[in-house]
Amino acid sequence: MSDQEIIEQLKQGSEAAFRKLVEGHQKLVVNTCFGLVHNREDAEDIAQDVFIEVYRSIQQFRADSKLSTWLYRISVNRSLNHIRDNKKHKWFQSFEKDVEARNRQILQVESSPTDHPGFEMENKQRAAILQEAINSLPENQKVAFSLNKYEDLSYQEISEVMEMSVSSVESLLFRAKKNLQKKLYKCYKKKCM
Amino acid sequence: MKCKAVHSKLIFFLERELPEPEMKAVQEHLAACPECALFAEEMKKTLSILETEKVSEVNPYFYTRVKAKLDRQSEIQPSGIRSSVLARVLQPVAFSIILILGIYGGVKMGATGAKTASTFTAEQEMVPYLNDMDVEPLETFLME
Repeated sequence: MSDQEIIEQLKQGSEAAFRKLVEGHQKLVVNTCFGLVHNREDAEDIAQDVFIEVYRSIQQFRADSKLSTWLYRISVNRSLNHIRDNKKHKWFQSFEKDVEARNRQILQVESSPTDHPGFEMENKQRAAILQEAINSLPENQKVAFSLNKYEDLSYQEISEVMEMSVSSVESLLFRAKKNLQKKLYKCYKKKCM
Repeated sequence: MKCKAVHSKLIFFLERELPEPEMKAVQEHLAACPECALFAEEMKKTLSILETEKVSEVNPYFYTRVKAKLDRQSEIQPSGIRSSVLARVLQPVAFSIILILGIYGGVKMGATGAKTASTFTAEQEMVPYLNDMDVEPLETFLME
């Protein structure tokens, strides 16, 4: 079933078409959300809301852009809203809770079953450093970078999702990589990686 | 090429985005400088995490969860609409009524207060004392 057929049937309220849409685009949506929120459970929760939004607003969808572009846009917006909400909540979160959460994370890492615990630990640390560096990027750079890296989107595709010119996307990605390199170098100098 | 120049181009080198002569220059520098080679290796390992983090397998229960969430929200929605009507319309109306009553009560109380104030002047308040003095002179009072 093509995207066009799925949309047409979805507009008529077909549940089978909704199932096709979810199963066909689940990976795309979860990956996009994960690239921005860096937490598997949160990414799946946001992805569920993305599909619900698509189901509810399918009547407003016009064939101006591709279905995937629309899905990317909703996923990015929902993930950014989630990050903003989390930031607000962190203001009210006590320091003790923060420390507790960190300790729990470390315990999880230490108790995860693997053949190479040292290697696993190192990878988790690297992932945490990388996530922190990505999270510290300005919003637009972060979106462009995660679409490029997690979804392998071309500059042209990113420009369609972000509704900006290809040259702007090029410049965003260039600055994102420069900033990331700077942060990773600082971390390397401090011997944290 | 100096170490600083290599550091600023390393990420583009690892992504193979540099022009051919620059790629070659960085490559030669890394072969000769163990310090930069070590950083390049660390950076490569860290960036390779991006590949491993991608979602490779789909959650088999994902659709069921989306459907359940959708159904749950559809059930909640009618009462949600009612509560939003309550919040958006009835609450402001109730607050407005309380406010108007408060202002009206304040005005009424102020008016009665003003009336009593106008009837009791300072001069009138002194009159009983003066009259008392007329009736009972100080000498008589002391004599008693």
